[in-house]
Amino acid sequence: MPLLEVKDLSVRYGKALAVEQVSVTVDKGELVGVLGPNGAGKTTLLKAISRAIGSTGTLKFKGQTLERLPPYDVVARGICHCPEGRRLFPELSVLKNLQLGAYLRSNKAEIGEDLERVFSLFPVLKERQQQQSSTLSGGEQQMVAIGRAMMGRPELLLLDEPSVGIAPRLKGLIFDAIEKIRKDGTAILIVEQDATATLRIADRVYVLEHGRTVREGRAKDLAGDEYIRQVYLGV
Amino acid sequence: MLEILIYGAVSSAIYAMLAVGFTLIFGVARILNLAHGAFYALGAYAAYVFTSLLHWPLFIAAPLAVLSVALFGVLMERFLVRPLRYSQLAVLMITLSVSLAVEQGLFITFGSEYRNVPSFVAEKVSIGGVDIGGQRLLALIAGVLVLLLLWLFIQRTRLGAAILAVSQDPEAAQYMGIPTNRIFSVVMAISAGTAALAGVLVSPFLTVQPTMGLLPMVKAFAIVIVGGLGSIPGSILAALLLGYSETIVAYLISSSWTELVSLVAVVITLMIKPSGLLGRRAAF
Ligand SMILES: Nc1ncnc2c1ncn2[C@@H]1O[C@H](COP(=O)(O)OP(=O)(O)OP(=O)(O)O)[C@@H](O)[C@H]1O
Ligand SMILES: [Mg+2]
Repeated sequence: MPLLEVKDLSVRYGKALAVEQVSVTVDKGELVGVLGPNGAGKTTLLKAISRAIGSTGTLKFKGQTLERLPPYDVVARGICHCPEGRRLFPELSVLKNLQLGAYLRSNKAEIGEDLERVFSLFPVLKERQQQQSSTLSGGEQQMVAIGRAMMGRPELLLLDEPSVGIAPRLKGLIFDAIEKIRKDGTAILIVEQDATATLRIADRVYVLEHGRTVREGRAKDLAGDEYIRQVYLGV
Repeated sequence: MLEILIYGAVSSAIYAMLAVGFTLIFGVARILNLAHGAFYALGAYAAYVFTSLLHWPLFIAAPLAVLSVALFGVLMERFLVRPLRYSQLAVLMITLSVSLAVEQGLFITFGSEYRNVPSFVAEKVSIGGVDIGGQRLLALIAGVLVLLLLWLFIQRTRLGAAILAVSQDPEAAQYMGIPTNRIFSVVMAISAGTAALAGVLVSPFLTVQPTMGLLPMVKAFAIVIVGGLGSIPGSILAALLLGYSETIVAYLISSSWTELVSLVAVVITLMIKPSGLLGRRAAF
């Protein structure tokens, strides 16, 4: 049984179909990528999984349905969403942002451990924990966003374009952190623009275009796929 | 001079209590609540019913008055405002309707005559030669205390952090597992409760009658515009400005001019700095 099972998922905005009959699975501890051009429906797919927007089709996590759950129950089940555009609480400190990630948890000792884990993942945040988050650089903000999602101690982490708009030097740091998170046992579903990096770190990849899945398979295989090479890797 | 200082502080404290609740529910839930003055009136009438009619002891009557109005606010938000949240205009209309309905309800139940609420503290206090009613002093102290507690609650507790999170980014707050609707209820309770407390505290020295909520509502709105919609420090600052300007105008010119102060302040603010003194996007 996969950890996450999305089957024939469709999402409409008014009359427009943003996601059409998409099926995605993520196994325990797996790192799965979603590629696709702007407007393909990638963000919409992630929002549907965390129940921020309504959808039709099957949505199962650890064999239990997520359909009809409010977003906070999805978090309680173990899915944390690091949204597109980081979406930090701008006027709060780095530390407060991170603590809010653990909103539903009550075990202070475990929360403290996770905070240390985030700081070891992104040491710069430890120095900046009292700084107002809106004054951080884009890359640092992205670290807070990922760290904040990890503070929920998720079994599945949803990442929406974590490397977009980030300096190349920091980009490597972000992808390293993502690999580390996976190594520690958290499954990840990552939406990315950077196809090269995604194909390098992911186990499997889905390619979405116009709301539909046009390719899916093991990252190794897709990296050799002629269409993918031309359109996404530009070689 | 000292007289202005003391009476100005009393007005400011009451205005601040009203304005902070008004700005808080806007900052967090984007509800521009025109029924806020009705909460104030309901607080005063609840105090009247519990003390003058039912003769309950004050320490039961006052908290109960505040709690019942808070509950009224929560129910209003849940059943009348929430279904209309998609439209700011609809929210404005429904809260205006509630405000008018409350006023009519009070009119039908209690008539239009002024009602008296006994003072909680009868003694007069003399500060530096200025005599001030103990009840006014109580209103001042209670106002400052409530604002201080509210500040601590928001800055220091987990629920307070969730309130800040929702006010700064409701969608991201959802991803943290924060139940936004429940936060709206909590904030509505706080907002209605502080307005009611203001009504309870002033009921012994101001006139208790059905339309008593209108002017304070306008004042709260004015303060929030001057201070910056959604900003709590802004509304406290603006409450001080307005409370003192009014007191000074009343002393220097006449008390019939005081009501103009807030309107002039609003016009000046909107022309010079439309976002208000400390106007930002979010609460705090
Ligand atoms: N709130 C909304 N209302 C209406 N249409 C929307 C809304 N959000 C997204 N859409 C539309 O749905 C489609 C998919 O959008 P989505 O944001 O999921 O794309 P995406 O793959 O994440 O794109 P990008 O790479 O630019 O982030 C687009 O056509 C978009 O215009
Ligand atoms: Mg997107």
